[in-house]
Amino acid sequence: MKSMELGTIEREIHVDASPEIVFEVVSRPEHISEWWSDDATLDEAAPGAVGELAWNDRAEVVPLKVVTAEPPRLFAFRWCYPDGTVDDAAKTMLVTFELTPSGGGTKIKLTETGFREMGWEAAQLEAAYNDHVAGWDHFIPRLGEYVAKLAAS
Amino acid sequence: MIDVDDDLWSAIGDPTRRRMLDRLLADGDGTATSLSVHLPVTRQAIAKHLGVLDRVGLVHSLPAGRERRYRVDEAQLARAVAQLASVGSAWDARLQRIKRIAEAIQRTKNEHNEKE
Repeated sequence: MKSMELGTIEREIHVDASPEIVFEVVSRPEHISEWWSDDATLDEAAPGAVGELAWNDRAEVVPLKVVTAEPPRLFAFRWCYPDGTVDDAAKTMLVTFELTPSGGGTKIKLTETGFREMGWEAAQLEAAYNDHVAGWDHFIPRLGEYVAKLAAS
Repeated sequence: MIDVDDDLWSAIGDPTRRRMLDRLLADGDGTATSLSVHLPVTRQAIAKHLGVLDRVGLVHSLPAGRERRYRVDEAQLARAVAQLASVGSAWDARLQRIKRIAEAIQRTKNEHNEKE
């Protein structure tokens, strides 16, 4: 839960492959369709390029738009367009892959932001409430108790 | 696929409302007046926040004199927290797959280079 209180997901992972290879894997549709969607299209990893993620024989199709592409270190795109079509004015999620050479391999730092824009309207207040983390730390254990209670009944 | 209930997310995304939920969980229940004692916002603001929480089902209320007494709906809260957690774990799974694919490509490339 740690990195989610502020409406941002943040993850790091080490990969035993060069940044060049990792960049290809995170940005090319033939790979995206292996690690994420059933099908993917994307012309090129370049700013402004528009692509599509599709699931279940295109029963579910969502667009994405590349924001930044600096091989082999940075790839960022927007997705979760509310109307299902690319709209630069819409509130969306921004996914960023930062690749850093590390011990002969690559460190991937993933961030996904936009939860705030998509509803965390008072997130600016967050800074004023430094103890908000205590809130999550407080009710997550309680949730555990609740789930245990459910499991026991 | 990400599947998040926007209203629920929005309701729980506000720090004041999270503090209110916390307080209600700690005390068992509360009114706008009792909550305003513990939080740096007016009773009116608290009442408004309680309205938001009520609309998404995170709290339920019963009349208590001239006020209403609120309790947290723990099942709905569990649902909200599970949604937060599942968005995170979806990325964990995707990153694991990215790792596997990239490492397989690297291995193939290394083997190819050794042969040359």
